Amino acid sequence: MGISRDSLHKRRATGGRKKHWRKKKKYEMGRVPANTKLSTNVAVRTVRVRGGHTKFRALRLDTGNYSWGSEAVTRKVRILDVVYNASNNELVRTQTLVKNAIVQVDATPFKQWYQKHYNVELGAKNQAEIVPKPEEIKGSNHVKRKIKERLQKRKLDSHLAEQFSTGRLFACISSRPGQCGRCDGYILEGKELEFYVKKMQKKKSKAA
Amino acid sequence: MADQTERAFQKQFGVTGCFKSKEKKAPGKSGHRFYKQIGLGFKTPKEAIEGHYIDKKCPFTGNVSIRGRILTGYVKSTKMNRTIIVRRDYLHFVKKYGRYEKRHRNISAHISPCFRVREGDSVVIGQCRPLSKTVRFNVLRVTPSGSSAKKGFSSF
Repeated sequence: MGISRDSLHKRRATGGRKKHWRKKKKYEMGRVPANTKLSTNVAVRTVRVRGGHTKFRALRLDTGNYSWGSEAVTRKVRILDVVYNASNNELVRTQTLVKNAIVQVDATPFKQWYQKHYNVELGAKNQAEIVPKPEEIKGSNHVKRKIKERLQKRKLDSHLAEQFSTGRLFACISSRPGQCGRCDGYILEGKELEFYVKKMQKKKSKAA
Repeated sequence: MADQTERAFQKQFGVTGCFKSKEKKAPGKSGHRFYKQIGLGFKTPKEAIEGHYIDKKCPFTGNVSIRGRILTGYVKSTKMNRTIIVRRDYLHFVKKYGRYEKRHRNISAHISPCFRVREGDSVVIGQCRPLSKTVRFNVLRVTPSGSSAKKGFSSF
């Protein structure tokens, strides 16, 4: 194995070099990075690791399980685009999926859930928010009552609402695709969303 | 926000600003700050609870636990980013001559933004897991010294 994670090749804290006094050990081994790409032919390889356990090295992925935190809903969605990476712009260019990368995901499963839960259609063509009157809610009395109650507590971030009209939501990957073989994450909201939107606009204006 | 200086959004692990939870007034301004007691009789500074800094290596608001040794020393250098060098002086007995000799050791310790240190301050540091190549300690309490910074030997 060529990649090793030992500290014998590093200098001491005082700056002195260390002499090689032993060979590289297998428990110090490192492996080739996955560099999971966004692609429709999904490929996940199994790797046997120390102790006999397995890691799932995702090489190409296109879907993930994304949760909408404030509404506490999680849906399996298609990942559409890698948009921002705080560590390396190269990873954005090559559309590499890594933890804490900002991606755009398909908004339709969340729209459908929202419609069922609040009876409100997000991202509709007309600008005004359609809040249907209680009489228009389809279903039994029990369902009508539940939806009415939910509508009172309903709050939707304006930035999120804008994203629903384009059908793409910004999300952050919070799993490690090269380790667990999945690309799961959470929808960006609030201050985090503003932060990343600003960063992406700055990048676009610099490139333009 | 003063603390968003990096390219990635800085936040505390496990704290999301957007949950529609009940309004907890406890941590100073507008809630939603994680902090903990580190035990062993060390008080969490007020600045850690009410501040806005994000530091995952802070013992009070981050993801490190203090266990193992607790040492004291005085601050030798504060030039690094969020870490200091602590100098610990001690005497070593030489049996042949029946006398002592002065020795010292430098320890790199991580310092949370809730503390203000200057060189010469006396500091209590506690052992935690390795935070970087040389840092295995975290500052728990600062006792500000007088004005002069003593770089020489001082045993206490």
